[in-house]
Amino acid sequence: MNAQDAVLETGYQSGIPPVNYLNIKTTLASWLLTKDHKRIALMYLVSVSVFFMIGGLFAATIRLELLTPASDLLETGTYNKVFTEHGIMMIFFFLIPSIPAVLGNFLIPIMIGAKDLALPRINLISLYIYWFAGALALYGLMVGGVDTGWTFYTPYSTTFSNTYVMIVGLAIFINGFSSILTGLNFIVTIHTMRAPGMTWFRLPLFVWAHYAVSLVMILGTPVVAITVLLLAIERVSRVGIFDPSIGGDPILFQHLFWFYSHPAVYIMVLPGMGVVSELISNFSRKKIFGYEFIAFSSIAIAVFGFLVWGHHLFVSGQSPYAGMVFSFLTMVVAVPSAIKMFNWTATLYKGSVSFDTPMLYGLGFMGLFLIGGLTGLFLGSMGLDVHLTDTYFVVAHFHYVMVGGQVIAYLGGIHYWWPKMTGRMYSEFWGKISAMLVFVGFNLTFFPQFLLGYMGMPRRYAAYPPEFQVLNIFSTAGASVLGIGMLMPVIYLVHSLKFGKPAGDNPWMLPGLEWRTTSPPPLENFATPPVVTWEAYEFGEGSGLDLEEARRRAAAPAIL
Amino acid sequence: MSTHGHSDKFVYHEPGLQHQFSDMEQQEESVSIGMWMFLVQEIMFFGGLFTAYLVFRSKYPMAFAAGSNHLDAFWGGLNTIVLIVSSLTMALTVYYAQKGNRNLQVIFIILTMLFGATFLGVKAIEYNDKYHHGLVPIAGLNLRAKGTAGAEQHPEGKPCWEVAGHSAEPAAEHQYVNPKGEFEWADCSLAKLAQDEGYLTTAEQIGYFSNGELDGNKFRDKVRIFYYLYFVMTGLHALHMIVGLLLMTWLLWTAYKGYYNADYYMPVEMSGLYWHFVDIVWIFLFPLLYLLGRHFLHAGH
Amino acid sequence: MQTTNWVPLFPEQASTFAWQVDALYFYLVAVSIAFSIPIVLAIFVFGMKYREREKYVSGAEIHGSMVLETTWSIIPFVVSMTIFLGGAIVFFNQMTPPDDAMTVYVVGKQWMWKMQHETGQREINELHVPLGRTVKLTMTTEDVIHDFGLPEFRTKADVVPGRYTYLWFTPTKPGKYHLFCQEYCGLNHSGMGGWVYVMEQRDYDNWLSGNVSGQTPVEMGKDLFENKLGCASCHAGGPQQRGAKLEGVFGSTVKLTGGGTVVADDNYIRNSILNPASQVVEGYQPIMPTFKGQVTEEQLNALVAYVKSLTPGAATNSPSPASTAPSPANTAGGTGASANNMTPAKADRGKQNAAGSNPNTPSNSNSR
Repeated sequence: MNAQDAVLETGYQSGIPPVNYLNIKTTLASWLLTKDHKRIALMYLVSVSVFFMIGGLFAATIRLELLTPASDLLETGTYNKVFTEHGIMMIFFFLIPSIPAVLGNFLIPIMIGAKDLALPRINLISLYIYWFAGALALYGLMVGGVDTGWTFYTPYSTTFSNTYVMIVGLAIFINGFSSILTGLNFIVTIHTMRAPGMTWFRLPLFVWAHYAVSLVMILGTPVVAITVLLLAIERVSRVGIFDPSIGGDPILFQHLFWFYSHPAVYIMVLPGMGVVSELISNFSRKKIFGYEFIAFSSIAIAVFGFLVWGHHLFVSGQSPYAGMVFSFLTMVVAVPSAIKMFNWTATLYKGSVSFDTPMLYGLGFMGLFLIGGLTGLFLGSMGLDVHLTDTYFVVAHFHYVMVGGQVIAYLGGIHYWWPKMTGRMYSEFWGKISAMLVFVGFNLTFFPQFLLGYMGMPRRYAAYPPEFQVLNIFSTAGASVLGIGMLMPVIYLVHSLKFGKPAGDNPWMLPGLEWRTTSPPPLENFATPPVVTWEAYEFGEGSGLDLEEARRRAAAPAIL
Repeated sequence: MSTHGHSDKFVYHEPGLQHQFSDMEQQEESVSIGMWMFLVQEIMFFGGLFTAYLVFRSKYPMAFAAGSNHLDAFWGGLNTIVLIVSSLTMALTVYYAQKGNRNLQVIFIILTMLFGATFLGVKAIEYNDKYHHGLVPIAGLNLRAKGTAGAEQHPEGKPCWEVAGHSAEPAAEHQYVNPKGEFEWADCSLAKLAQDEGYLTTAEQIGYFSNGELDGNKFRDKVRIFYYLYFVMTGLHALHMIVGLLLMTWLLWTAYKGYYNADYYMPVEMSGLYWHFVDIVWIFLFPLLYLLGRHFLHAGH
Repeated sequence: MQTTNWVPLFPEQASTFAWQVDALYFYLVAVSIAFSIPIVLAIFVFGMKYREREKYVSGAEIHGSMVLETTWSIIPFVVSMTIFLGGAIVFFNQMTPPDDAMTVYVVGKQWMWKMQHETGQREINELHVPLGRTVKLTMTTEDVIHDFGLPEFRTKADVVPGRYTYLWFTPTKPGKYHLFCQEYCGLNHSGMGGWVYVMEQRDYDNWLSGNVSGQTPVEMGKDLFENKLGCASCHAGGPQQRGAKLEGVFGSTVKLTGGGTVVADDNYIRNSILNPASQVVEGYQPIMPTFKGQVTEEQLNALVAYVKSLTPGAATNSPSPASTAPSPANTAGGTGASANNMTPAKADRGKQNAAGSNPNTPSNSNSR
């Protein structure tokens, strides 16, 4: 069955189908006890957005405090809690779940032609665990918070900090299982639930990226889980292996912590790269350049990502020889990312490039991840890292890759698949405006921080020497622009739910399998289970898309 | 919650087939990969603990040997045999499920559970022994014993390597005095032995000594790390064992109701996988915790 | 030391290997630009040249190119290896002190740095070194992990409890350079800084012999109190206050813990500095460290004179230590002692103490 038939079968070409996964049942129980991956994805969307706003509020507070050299807006102790909690909220409760739990959950079954994930109940449990962990973390914040930094270095966190390390640590421990179950589900699903004809090399790169991410989630997260558990035990019982005053080794904590937390950054960025592959290819209306290379690069990043954790420990007292091995491997892991960047650029060549909002985010990702990734090389080079580590250079680097990379890819993906998830189109005008505000605001916020870092301004400082003030002011100004740019989608996306134009099945006329079902999709994703006969990103004759018909429909009024 | 809608018209649902799968083969493949992935992640979970063990044992081998000597290899060995046999009964459960023999399935599940419970019982005995000898690393969690007035656990001035407190032979003059329920370890003779024969590690040369003298308290701290790892590792393992027993309870119930036969015995096989995993973790734990430095025991220390 | 008024973009090079670090940096900047410009240019050019002319027209059917993939795998790999090698060489330099180094012992603690020269001088939050002489720091910490960071020297190293770590440099330019704590260590992490003074040999010799010209005892005491010894971090008011306020103390009758009173005279002040645990004021914790061996007799006299001056009428006029203006002897961006007590005393300071971090009594923690 080709795409055209699939669309015609439903009988709803341009409008919102009367019965779809959103309205098939509307009781509260039907949402909270759902096994439908699409509903679970939406509930994750709301949840991660809440945590993003909380983390964003903390970020705003940090930037306001740093307008002046003295610690005058907040008590130093409070500032320490604010930056810690900004990190914890953003990393564990927003960045790590965001793309996999929202977009991955929604799209992977549809992209492979399946009815649902392989293990829907595990998916629901994963959501519950996330909610419970998030609630526990928020409770910890409310009764007093933590001030150890999101990295929880010992012995400060085990013995010296007078804050609620155990509660928040426990929340992170529990949250890890949400991540593990999601990853487990994806691996099983991608292996066993592909529709007939959907071979591995016909899979969208979004799916490849999530397969790689799932490997990291399953192998890495348990290590941080046990580490945080040991930290909590040591905190409570005053016995353990991390505090030297009782015989322990603080560097062991760092090794165990970073063994997960480095792969964690790949958990964050790989799905973003998967989204970008989709955006660049589809909005150039051209098959992605070097499909296999991008697919294998994702796997390579996942594997090599496990071997570089020591680059966080160059000045910690780690052996210089170990440091050399880690530095070498850090350089190696940069290469697959470079390969992807070149492939995306080459995809634009002789394409048919349109600049819709999602594509703006995709291109933004490319520019910002370029800077972020390159500055990673600065930090992987040991001699330079000695000067730059623990300064604002590191802060700028990871914000470039995590915000400039991951968050922008997430926003791009949300905008790209919004019509599929909700059946509505948002205002393209406001979409473009906010994409540009985000890009400009982001650079203004974080580029000065590279300069501050080279100057030597340390990170996690509530007060700083006055000569750093001017650059800090630029940074805060940029943050306000960035904040506005990020708030705008909340408004116009929510607005579109009621007032947006119905999108139809395939608003951009793209060949992906997700566009060959209605928007929003029916409960079991497809009216009839698809059989795949076309290659990935096939824009030519084989795609089965009737472009003449599409142009005609685009000109005609929407049939509701 | 969701209606099956039109799919019911097209697909015959075998009993036990979940709606997202098109046939039993797909479901079984999925469940199998899922369980293996779960076990892989459990290995990584224990892996962190094994890493910590590795680091501290390489740093303080004599303290680890001393601590290990006080663990009773008899109980540990018994538990090992118990678990291996339970893996056998578990494998037989799967075999008879495959054969559709309901009665033998049930019998072997019960036997597996019995062995599992035995394992836990032995662990309880061991933990209780630690409780009574001041070997629980957390202060306050050991038996508190005020002791008679004037009774000294260590006569004044006796150096820690001449105290027979926690060696293999029970010392007659040793009386358990532990008013605050703290971790107690008085015997550093193995450290002295290594010092005399010149094979202390670099870390030990700093870690056991104060001002050039062997310091019983510092040695005790290192032994306490051994017991901390012992409790965390075996405790986590026991937790997994308990989960295993709960799993067996469910399996017993469903097997009793006759759910499993040659066509459908996946849940039994998956439960078997989990059980074997728990067994294998113990196979690693036992020698690493119980069998260190056994030659010291025979050397008459 | 920044003496320009415009926005600083680059720290001074004050050590022998600083230029190597900067060279590596510039090489990396060049590599970054060399990679970024073609890619960004390509994105712009392709985006413009190949923009969608008619709706839904597909792009060309191009799948990939083995040649291109190989090229742009190998070239980045080779470049990254050069970066690795450069970094490794510089790092080895930074980790290998020459044999003729003079050793200074450093101990970090929350939230101050204590240095001790081999010749016996002790310093707090400051390090005086002679120009051109290689200095090797042997460091540890009393409590949590800190980091001894010297941006203008382009080096830093963590200090870890339970072991020694090392750092070396050879200063090439006289001046005053930042010392920052660069590993988050708790409440006053941002205040745990100081200065490294690189002096010409003659000046350094002067300093070694303790010759500080032109200060009255009260001025010297004030300098010691606010800057050099870190007293102000606990005694000068603000939310970090943990010690008794000293205004009006001299000459008054002080209540001690455990009952008993004493008149706060010269001996009392002197004893509180050398043996603080013996006479703790009621209501305060016995956490003041002793300064025995760290202050000379001359310095003790200066401190007593200063504390005396805090009681109106008892001595010559001098500004109250609770003022937030640093003394004129110190430039802005001062050390941990005064930099972070800018917040005026708050009404709920008492509550701050209870809820705030009190690292010296970790067993008091009732939070998890």
